[in-house]
Amino acid sequence: MKNDFPIARTKNGKFKINLHDDHREVLQELIEQFRETLTSAASAKSAASATGVDHETNLRRLFPTAYHNDAKADAEYQRLMRDELLASRLASAEVASTVIASKNEISAEEMDAFTRSVNSLRLVLGTTLDIAESDYGAGAKEARKKHEADDTGETEIQRELYEYLGWLLEWCVMAQSESN
Amino acid sequence: MIILLRHNGNMDQSAVASVQPAQVQEPDLADDTSADRPWIVIVWNDPINLMSYVTFVFQKLFGYSLEKATELMLDVHNKGRAVVSSGTREHAEFDVYRLHEHGLWATMEHESL
Repeated sequence: MKNDFPIARTKNGKFKINLHDDHREVLQELIEQFRETLTSAASAKSAASATGVDHETNLRRLFPTAYHNDAKADAEYQRLMRDELLASRLASAEVASTVIASKNEISAEEMDAFTRSVNSLRLVLGTTLDIAESDYGAGAKEARKKHEADDTGETEIQRELYEYLGWLLEWCVMAQSESN
Repeated sequence: MIILLRHNGNMDQSAVASVQPAQVQEPDLADDTSADRPWIVIVWNDPINLMSYVTFVFQKLFGYSLEKATELMLDVHNKGRAVVSSGTREHAEFDVYRLHEHGLWATMEHESL
């Protein structure tokens, strides 16, 4: 049965991704858009600092503040680390793209990069959808009704993808949490 | 082409501000003993990261047991924040970077006296 899991750890400590081709296609497109968004955000960075316009609003969870009570220290941290973080995200996305395209077993390192990219996609979509605590728990039913009334075709798709990425991320975590 | 990651027009600057930890005015610490105090790394609650993923990241990055990682994750979820590591400034910056790399909302500050 384990071989039927969407993501499974194999006996040799590697991982196997068993996703339908349609799912792989959508994920590949998401990763590609993510890479384009990151790259264009990087090039817009200097323009943003000059104009004060934030072009990266839905990426903000990917580049958080490091010093929450020291703006000067945070500016210095961002100056030194932001590009490294961007490069790390792009590198993970590249690995994720390869992983999605392949039906072979993948290494633990590739699985790690894939997981981080799935989470990054979910963070971007969740930010775009303005996901809040009220979307869960006691208020979830009410929130869902509101979304059904308010969502346009595009946000409906985004919300479905957000849910899908949550499901996929749970499988990523489960597979990696399994002992050999 | 499905436009999935387009900038959402509803996300204005006030929304950006709403997820930033509150700015706290601190006294000038240049002359006190702050240099001797360790730095702490804080993970803040956010409504997007999965609880299972946060627990997994704590185990992976810090080698915590499932019980300890779950306890910290629940602190993040219920209390809004949890201190996940402490040490020198360089060590804290390293941990903050790794947590950011994994998509968690982490910041650092001097440990309180």
